[in-house]
Amino acid sequence: MSASLYTTRRIKNVIAMVLSVIATGLGLFFLAWILWETLSQGASALKPQLFTKITAYREEGGLANAMIGSLILNFLGILIATPIGVAAGTWLAEYSRRSRLGPTIRFLNDILLSAPSIVLGLFVYTIVVLPSKYLSNGNVTFSGLAGGVALALIALPVIVRTTDEMLRLVPGTLREAALSLGVPQWKLTTQILIRSARSGIVTGVLLALARISGETAPLLFTAFGNTFTSLNPLTPMASLPQIIYEYTKDPSPDINTIAWAGAFVLTMFVLALSLIARFAFRSKVSHD
Amino acid sequence: MHATASNAATAPAHTGASRTSTDSRNDLIFGWVLKACALLVLLSLIGAAGSTLWLGQDAFRTFGWGFLTSAAWDPSNDQYGALVPIMGTVGTAMIALVVAVPISFGIALFLTEIAPQWLRGPVASAIELLAGIPSIIYGMWGLFIFAPFVAEHIKPWLMNNFSAEPPDGQVSWLVQHVPWIAKFFSSEYPFFGAGVLTAGLVLAVMIIPFISSVMREVFQTVPTRLKESAYALGSSTWEVVWDIVVPYTRTAVIGGVFLGLGRALGETMAVAFVLGNTFKFSWSFLETGSSIASTIANQFGEAQGLQRSALMALAFLLFVVTFIVLLIARLMLRRLATKEGN
Amino acid sequence: MTNMNEVASRPGFGASPHASGVDLGQVPAKMTARDVNFYYGDFHALKNIAMDVPEKQVTAIIGPSGCGKSTLLRIFNRIYAIYPNLRATGEIILDGENILDPKYSLNRLRSKVGMVFQKPVPFPMTIFENVAYGIRHHEKLSRSEMENRVEQALRGAALWDEVKDKLKQSALGLSGGQQQRLCIARGIALKPEVLLLDEPTSALDPIATSRIEQLVEELKRDFTIVIVTHNMQQAARCSDMTAFMYMGELIEFDRTEKIFTKPDKKQTEDYITGRFG
Repeated sequence: MSASLYTTRRIKNVIAMVLSVIATGLGLFFLAWILWETLSQGASALKPQLFTKITAYREEGGLANAMIGSLILNFLGILIATPIGVAAGTWLAEYSRRSRLGPTIRFLNDILLSAPSIVLGLFVYTIVVLPSKYLSNGNVTFSGLAGGVALALIALPVIVRTTDEMLRLVPGTLREAALSLGVPQWKLTTQILIRSARSGIVTGVLLALARISGETAPLLFTAFGNTFTSLNPLTPMASLPQIIYEYTKDPSPDINTIAWAGAFVLTMFVLALSLIARFAFRSKVSHD
Repeated sequence: MHATASNAATAPAHTGASRTSTDSRNDLIFGWVLKACALLVLLSLIGAAGSTLWLGQDAFRTFGWGFLTSAAWDPSNDQYGALVPIMGTVGTAMIALVVAVPISFGIALFLTEIAPQWLRGPVASAIELLAGIPSIIYGMWGLFIFAPFVAEHIKPWLMNNFSAEPPDGQVSWLVQHVPWIAKFFSSEYPFFGAGVLTAGLVLAVMIIPFISSVMREVFQTVPTRLKESAYALGSSTWEVVWDIVVPYTRTAVIGGVFLGLGRALGETMAVAFVLGNTFKFSWSFLETGSSIASTIANQFGEAQGLQRSALMALAFLLFVVTFIVLLIARLMLRRLATKEGN
Repeated sequence: MTNMNEVASRPGFGASPHASGVDLGQVPAKMTARDVNFYYGDFHALKNIAMDVPEKQVTAIIGPSGCGKSTLLRIFNRIYAIYPNLRATGEIILDGENILDPKYSLNRLRSKVGMVFQKPVPFPMTIFENVAYGIRHHEKLSRSEMENRVEQALRGAALWDEVKDKLKQSALGLSGGQQQRLCIARGIALKPEVLLLDEPTSALDPIATSRIEQLVEELKRDFTIVIVTHNMQQAARCSDMTAFMYMGELIEFDRTEKIFTKPDKKQTEDYITGRFG
């Protein structure tokens, strides 16, 4: 009786373990599959003109305008989101202790972190693209700036969260030591706390950059796209994810091939960024 | 006192006092600037809900509650009902959860209890790498690689076994005896890979890393002494997980699942290519359809007037639903955080 | 535990006008606490504390863990005020002014009352910057004046010889004892009048500890020092006055040799002789 009970328990355990290993295997299998397809299809489609020619030439062209556009859009996004995000995160970690608003905003920030990016894109369309008609003779103009704002809105919660978490890791004794020298709170915050949490905050910015580099949906109705190279943030701008989106939908297999090449470049860029972010974070941890 | 005397000589008392008042003024201004930035987080959420509701009000006024229940999405007649995109959104998200939750649980279990120490870090990093891949890449992979795979391998098998019009011509025993089941497995284009099931599976692959990493973190919060005392009683690994770890972390695990659900509901690019973007109502998993996000992505660029308003109204619905789902998720995860604190 | 009655009836319980009622001899009081109570939310952590801190002497505060000795120290420069829900009542008079008055500027208080913490907390900057940082906030000095002041402070903290060649290196590379002396240098660089030391040697090895103790001895020429310690020998070795606290109350406050040889209170004797705590 007890022997059979023991056997049943053991069999149950073995089944659970095996299923768990299979589940992990499946997860890794899909990762490998997706990466393999992107890398192999993309690598075979790579050619120098991708980096030199623009999308206006279609099959004969490249992705140069999209890559330049992506760089500008990402730069704008990070440029807008970093100061605001670091400030907001600092407020949460250092200033909101006596306020009920603090936990609420921290909570809402976590929700913003996973909010549907396409809706955030529409929001920016409403507040940036639509009002543009008052500036340009009644024409609604999509713009790189609008795209940058949309990306900033996606980067913002990532930066807020890491800043908040990193500052809360800074030991309280450091605050006490500085305050006991009579240093005012704002100097303590900008010169000591943010400096101690610097590598963590940089990690957050890198993660945010990795996140927005791959975003497509919020750019469709903000930066919109452009078959030519545009360096002016007040005009529509192409971006790598948006071109990949267009080129994937395209019926021409040659255009699809260029989409794969774009996917290769984009994936490499994003994965490299997250690896760097991880590395930076690890060096921070060992430093302490 | 020597020290004070020299101090007073270099810094007269009145400078010290004015410095103090400048400092406290700067402190105040600094605090307000930071707070204003923090309030932007709040404003973006309110703004996203407000702007979509504002621009979607025409559609809500024109169609009333019928907007939610009508399956008509017909730009040529300016008729818009959200039922098909809602069904598509919910259907794909549900399929994604049904597939992703057990797999994520298995991965989390493997990474916290089964795998040898040296394997845990690399495997966890690899799974998290999956989360870093841009969703547009999932979309491409879904369209070019996975949809043909579904069309060739998964869909024929499902239709042969569960549909009323199987490609092999032999209606299965199950369908003969339980005919209603065929309703969920019909397909107008049997050799076409796109559809609700395909989109749901792509979403599943996409949310696995999210759910599994939350579950893993949550499992790691179980105090070692709790697990050790269970092992000390002779429990097997599975028994420790099922009797100790899962009950201890139940709320947070559900929170993680809701987090994945929130992601799945709002995802655009991973499903935009593989849903088919059709607006015909159907109960079948194998039929093409559309989701809220994919409809917006595909149509907003060319939409005018009432159609644009209807798309905004869809966006509002999506935002409200994901907000509620994410709210539940975060509340459940927060309870874990307080438990940890104690 | 049998002595609770005695605790309640000790002199100074309630608002005593002559504070601790201890004769400081010729030494004037630098700081005087009167009727100080402290609350962590609802918890009453300090009860009616009254004591005089003599000028340019070392005052040690001893007592078992949780007795409130660190709490009392942290009231002397109001560092507790950075946390919500903490509240102090009563008066602490420094140079004729009540520092617990909300109108008393914290910046001014903290330039007059410096503090060194249990664990060394160097700022993430160079050694030079660590010392200069606080000064820069209170005074505008030329480069050479600043270099002078930093050197003076580092000499004062008996650290100069060890770090004079690496002032531009990160302070995080120093040993624990050096870091703690750097923190003392940072504190005395502001030329405060009172220096609060919160168990400054508890994280250090015996050699580093004895250097800090020597330093305390030297520092009292210029500063009024209050040191919290869990180490009774340390209090006996380097203080002039000793306060014994137990469960949020000041049980006995007197000249150090008296506390350690013939204390008035049974509880003090029990603690000194190791019968509890």
